[in-house]
Amino acid sequence: MTEPTDPLIPELARKLVETLGLDMAPESVDPAAPLIGAGLGIDSIDTLELVVMIDKDYGVKIDDRAAGVEALSSLNGLAAFIRRRRSASPT
Amino acid sequence: MKPRPRVFVTGIGVVCAGANNVAELRSLLTAPRRDFHPPTVFACQGEAANLLAAEVSGFEPEAANPLPRTHRLALKAAREAVGTGSAPDTIVLGTTTGGILTTETALKAGITSPDAYRYHGLDTVALHLAQALHVRGPVLTLSTACSSAAAAMSVAQALLRAGLARRVLAGGADSLCRLTFHGFRALQLLAPSGCTPLDANRDGMTVGEGAGFLLLESSPSERPILALLSGSGLSCDAYHASSPHPEGAGAAQAMRRALEDAGVEPAAVDYVNLHGTGTINNDAAEANAIRRVFGSPLPPLSSTKGLAGHPLAAAGAIEAVISIVALGEGLLPANTGLGTVDPGLGLAPVREPTRARVSTVLSNSFGFGGNNACLVLQAPAPFDGPAPAFAPSSLPAFRVAGSACLTAKGGLDDTWNALGAGQSAAGFVPDAVFSKVVQAAFVRRLKRLPRLVLALAQTAHAASGQSAAPEFVALGTAWGPLAETQDFLRKLFETDEQFSSPTDFIGSVHNAPAGHVALLLGATAPNLTFSAADRSFVQAILAASLGLASGKASALVMAAEAHEARLSPLLDPAAATSPLASDGGAAFVLVPDDTAPGARLRWLGESGGTEFLHEFTGRYDAILVSTPASHGTDQLGNLAEAMSPFPLVTFRDRLGQHASVGATATAIAARAVIEGYLPLAASPIPLPRKRVLLLELGPRIAAIEVFA
Repeated sequence: MTEPTDPLIPELARKLVETLGLDMAPESVDPAAPLIGAGLGIDSIDTLELVVMIDKDYGVKIDDRAAGVEALSSLNGLAAFIRRRRSASPT
Repeated sequence: MKPRPRVFVTGIGVVCAGANNVAELRSLLTAPRRDFHPPTVFACQGEAANLLAAEVSGFEPEAANPLPRTHRLALKAAREAVGTGSAPDTIVLGTTTGGILTTETALKAGITSPDAYRYHGLDTVALHLAQALHVRGPVLTLSTACSSAAAAMSVAQALLRAGLARRVLAGGADSLCRLTFHGFRALQLLAPSGCTPLDANRDGMTVGEGAGFLLLESSPSERPILALLSGSGLSCDAYHASSPHPEGAGAAQAMRRALEDAGVEPAAVDYVNLHGTGTINNDAAEANAIRRVFGSPLPPLSSTKGLAGHPLAAAGAIEAVISIVALGEGLLPANTGLGTVDPGLGLAPVREPTRARVSTVLSNSFGFGGNNACLVLQAPAPFDGPAPAFAPSSLPAFRVAGSACLTAKGGLDDTWNALGAGQSAAGFVPDAVFSKVVQAAFVRRLKRLPRLVLALAQTAHAASGQSAAPEFVALGTAWGPLAETQDFLRKLFETDEQFSSPTDFIGSVHNAPAGHVALLLGATAPNLTFSAADRSFVQAILAASLGLASGKASALVMAAEAHEARLSPLLDPAAATSPLASDGGAAFVLVPDDTAPGARLRWLGESGGTEFLHEFTGRYDAILVSTPASHGTDQLGNLAEAMSPFPLVTFRDRLGQHASVGATATAIAARAVIEGYLPLAASPIPLPRKRVLLLELGPRIAAIEVFA
């Protein structure tokens, strides 16, 4: 499922690290690894911070639990979620 | 155990959504009717436009009043509580918003004149009350988020029991503002259709506003007794910055402490006024705590936030007034807004206003930072004396078991050495000095103030050699986490008020740094943050001293400021006028006085005048004077005359122009009384008596002494 060529992945990795102040290089975030509950130390407040960032920067809302589970499954999952939601409702 | 002196409620005042005085509140509780609507005190656009708030309406004509809304709400309720009788001698106020609504408007408009921000500080609310109501004694302001007002009641109760005050005006006030409204929106905690506490389908809270006050007395003579404030309990979850402990451990501890303090068995409680915000997590955690404390059967209980929303710092005071109405009327208030009770909670809230015998009420307030405060209020009992002897400067001294400070020169040793070499320690604390004290993962999301405070706490705690967590934690900070406030508002305004940072919101509350200290040290003890301009540190010393005097084994007292490039010069005249912007602070671990060597600290008083100092003059080698830029040389000149011939030592040029520099000076003084000289003048001042006085000047004068 990994799509290393997707330009959205490094962009999201950079935003993830910047938004949450993670002490790591964006390239070292594994695009296939779970964002929550794994090694990144991301908690519920970080999750909300990402929800705001995704809405603000991509115009995509994570408005219920199911969407959150899918969107924050991994960087790959997030990129796919953003693309699908954007094509569903172009802004 | 000898019975504790009684604390009598002799006045109540309230303003909240749906009620502009106690009579209207009584009617509202008898026939509940809620009116939540989008806020009108500021405009919301886009997705926020349809969200509801619990706004106060028509409490006074919106004349051309330059005072922020919080100030006006506070004075309205305070006047009702005080009535026409003798003035209170002391004020204890809980607030989180101060003048932020006015500040937001000015920032949004790009106003750069400090005059537009002169009522920003939390202290200005209580000072406004003190001036209007002629209060001569201490004017204390604390800020523990949504438990602020209940914590204020607890401090007032301690002051009365200790004989430091006779008549205290205690309460809370908060106005609606963009910061809290959009902050809770970013946390996805606002209920789209208004809060429904304890409901199976509850989906959040409704931000409210208002003010509530109790007039509390130790020996009432001229006013009728309305109720007793029999007990209070404070605790800190030490679990998370914004989420409650899921089992409600801290909440249960605060409830137990309040009941024990009142000498009341859980089975004797006739009604519990819940914190009950309507968020999934709060209500679940509180229900767990209630079941732990009360077992079975549970007393009648309800949340009244479905009626008046959540007025944040004012909640504990407004709900104390509701509890007193319940006592006076024999009324169990309804859990307004409830459809289907969440079966998972195991609670059976009061659905309709119900007549019942009510003689003992427990009122809960919980806030960000895991700050919990619970009150026990009881039906009136006669004053049969004797009251504690009134002795406003009678607190004992406590030993400094460990201390720390941060200045431009570094920690305590480096600062002491630099001063000894004739250098100034004014300026910013270099990042390298404090950034490594606490591990990186712990401070990842934290900005400058919480990092400074954590470094101070860690260093002082380590220096004290105490293995156990402190049994009392008190922080003083005049301006709180300004970088968080500035970043939150900047992002909000940059996005046309659509987006803001939940992290910055949680970090912006004044008590956030002390909450992180609790997490760092595992301190579930009472955890209070005072924010009273340059007197914040001395007020933190007072609270810690009250805690130690009542039997706590140790207290961690801190004070700090973090300079913020945009806001500091607008808010603090010292930052605006000083050629060298500064920040930093100090921390102390205090323990009961014993025979061990070391410096001692003693709180002497706070007053609108200098008279209280007369009994102390003549025994000091030096008088350290902190003069905020807002108050100046006249006060110093008068003081120099009063204190003559003892030398006044001004230290801000050497230690930095910031509001918590008095704490830094205290750390230096605590070493100086041991070493026998004070390096805060061109040539060191000898201290043959090993005793110095520290005065914070300004709109009130606050004093502590340091000796060995």
